Amino acid sequence: MNSTPHRATIYLEDARILGHESHPGEQRILKLEAPKCAQAARPGSFAHLQCDPLLPMRRPLSIMRVDPEAGWVEFLYKIIGYGTRLLARRRPGENLSLLGPIGRPFAVHADRPRAVLIGGGVGIPPMIFLANHLRRLPGFKPLAILGSEVPFPFIPRPSRILVPGMPDGIIAAMPLLEDWLIPSRLASLQGFPGCHDGYVTDLVVRWLDTLSPRELAEVELFACGPHPMLEAVARLARKYDLPAQVSLEEFMACGVGGCAGCTVAIETADGQAMKRVCVDGPVFDAATVAAFKPA
Amino acid sequence: MNLSVVDKRLAVDFCGLELASPLVLLSGCVGFGEEYTRIEAFSNREVGAICLKGTTLAPRLGNPPHRVYETPCGMLNAIGLQNPGAHQVVNEILPQLDFSETRFIANVSGSTVEEYVEVARLFDDSPIDAIEINISCPNVKEGGVAFGNDPDMSARVVEACRAATNKPLITKLSPNQTDIAENARRCIEAGTDGFAVINTLMGMAIDVEQREPIIGNNQGGLSGPAIKPLAVLKTHQVYQVARPHGIPIIGQGGVASAQDALEFLIAGATAVGVGTALFYDPLIVGKINAGLAAYLDRHGLDHISHLTGSLMLHGATSACG
Repeated sequence: MNSTPHRATIYLEDARILGHESHPGEQRILKLEAPKCAQAARPGSFAHLQCDPLLPMRRPLSIMRVDPEAGWVEFLYKIIGYGTRLLARRRPGENLSLLGPIGRPFAVHADRPRAVLIGGGVGIPPMIFLANHLRRLPGFKPLAILGSEVPFPFIPRPSRILVPGMPDGIIAAMPLLEDWLIPSRLASLQGFPGCHDGYVTDLVVRWLDTLSPRELAEVELFACGPHPMLEAVARLARKYDLPAQVSLEEFMACGVGGCAGCTVAIETADGQAMKRVCVDGPVFDAATVAAFKPA
Repeated sequence: MNLSVVDKRLAVDFCGLELASPLVLLSGCVGFGEEYTRIEAFSNREVGAICLKGTTLAPRLGNPPHRVYETPCGMLNAIGLQNPGAHQVVNEILPQLDFSETRFIANVSGSTVEEYVEVARLFDDSPIDAIEINISCPNVKEGGVAFGNDPDMSARVVEACRAATNKPLITKLSPNQTDIAENARRCIEAGTDGFAVINTLMGMAIDVEQREPIIGNNQGGLSGPAIKPLAVLKTHQVYQVARPHGIPIIGQGGVASAQDALEFLIAGATAVGVGTALFYDPLIVGKINAGLAAYLDRHGLDHISHLTGSLMLHGATSACG
């Protein structure tokens, strides 16, 4: 992957809240009117939001969906701390400041059309954005494997699309992806019906094992989610010799590359370097993430 | 130099440098001066000067994550002087900066007096407008605040850098010391041309579930509105020492509005630093400039410099007690 920082223009918009839905497990789907961000965002981009006028720092949230024509962007987040708790109190019709889109997006490769989109929890949004992008690209055959330990922020439905290698009864899928004719399967340790009782990577392995060597050479992994999940994806990529792009997160201050507050250790040709999640990422080649190196 | 974007009444002289606005973007907040220009409508021309990221002789990787954490009305940071080293800054980064936009100030750091001197010398032979000596970084094991909290060491660093450069020399003072005025006095004797008051305060936040510090470096520097009253007082204390010598001050710490900037100017600052507030509002500088101009209108003042040190204390001559 290119290692120069992402330099696209970042917009500051006073965004009107168009919708703010509650979902179980303290999840919220936030829809903002932000036409410039909607126009410029790419799968993997995030926005830095002012949750409340009294908070000194913004919060970075991955973009889930955009409508460039209608001028809106949509986020899924979970209330996990003070900032997101204040954000959850904001009501439709109110405005909040949005800085975005930010960050290096996912890069797709025509010679690897079998894109596996692996999302965990609030790591699901960038996978939805990427799926929506890939369905318009000729030749791409994306497969989404999503996991959650709280109820999914949508009502799963039995899939009408066959996915080779899936265990018996693992038929739950994300309706939006089904409508886009993108196969998906769900995993959770919470025993949700039709979902795999285990990890997302279990399902990815089962599917990979059905592929011929030639098909395997067409696979690329894309992932966003909790650290242990991304580490498992990196392991899996090494085992099957597959390229994997992971979207990372870290506490963030400026969001535009100025403060170096959000860095992660990345292996480069010149040795280890601390790279900024905001503008050097958030998408990195999993093979370069120092924390995912084999012990 | 194109200074036309800022009200001319806001232009100030700082150590012989004409700044288009009294507002200075602080070291560590804006990388090496070009990062914020990604943002639509952001312009370096709106600020008087930009202090570049702290620079050491050799490249530094900086501290492990987490490096930043929000605290009530502020934030902790412990970046650890991540920088590509002075040679790369001087040879590769400075040539890419547009010096017609604003003034650029180097921020020099080191683990030894010799390192400070070597870095200052490299910047002396560069187009940089001024050099800020960072003897107050709270996030490194050697140098930094360990020098800045000791008046003898502070003076030694300033004196040695003074001998290495003819550029304007600004000493960034630490609030983590008993008597900032005494330290300022020693730095003036050692040859500083100006002061930056203050750097961050040392602090800690703890994850009570894990019983470990949240910041990877264990402790970090506290910035933001939480520290503003302390920074205003320190600015005033240093002003009382610096004024007789004509030594100007960049007052800084939690500035997030024109009202805040005015407090620092009235307390004795000639220029005002903006740092953490940029993270909240990257376009805040234009708003503060506008607020300062409106204040001049409201008070019938023809120039911002009339405010410097205009504080009228209540029945006392010192704010130190």
